[in-house]
Amino acid sequence: MIFEEFVFFAICFIVMALCLFYRLIVGPSAADRAVTADCLDVLTDMALILFALYSGRSVFLDLALITAILGFLGSVITSRYLEGRL
Amino acid sequence: MRIAIDVLVAISVFFAFAGTMGIIRFPDTFTRIHASGNITTLGVLGVIIGGVLYSGFYLHDGGMVVKLLIMGVFYLVTSPISSHAIMKGAYKHGVRPDKEMVCDKYGEDMVEEEEE
Repeated sequence: MIFEEFVFFAICFIVMALCLFYRLIVGPSAADRAVTADCLDVLTDMALILFALYSGRSVFLDLALITAILGFLGSVITSRYLEGRL
Repeated sequence: MRIAIDVLVAISVFFAFAGTMGIIRFPDTFTRIHASGNITTLGVLGVIIGGVLYSGFYLHDGGMVVKLLIMGVFYLVTSPISSHAIMKGAYKHGVRPDKEMVCDKYGEDMVEEEEE
């Protein structure tokens, strides 16, 4: 049985991620851009998980895990830089 | 089971939509961080629980279940850490809320540390 609605939900997540580019471009401070980049990462992750479930391949789950780890490291390092201790 | 998985993923889409609207429309950096917590905890957990049910009952793939559970635990641990770190960094960088703050305990602690 194939769940075709996973693709529509994944398209919803991608459209939300494209909407977040507005805040990524016009965000007044650097902290806004860091928060928005973190959320964009998570939305891309959710779309990747849904596509992995739809296609039945676990390679995309590995890619989603790597994206999650890199997003966490990026946001923590950005916050250290904003704090002035890097 | 199919209805349960669809409802879980739809709840996650709703929370992600709420978080996106919050990030775009809120007036202030700290309120935007508050809205981003919507996406990174509840939005992801709906997708992950739905994925665990789907890959366990329809795909019969144990490896995907384990990977999804690892991702869920990772998100539960790291999303408060990253949002707290970004908030602390934004405060020390000089970002302040739009309105007048009623009490500012963290600023008082920073002043005391500098005096010591």
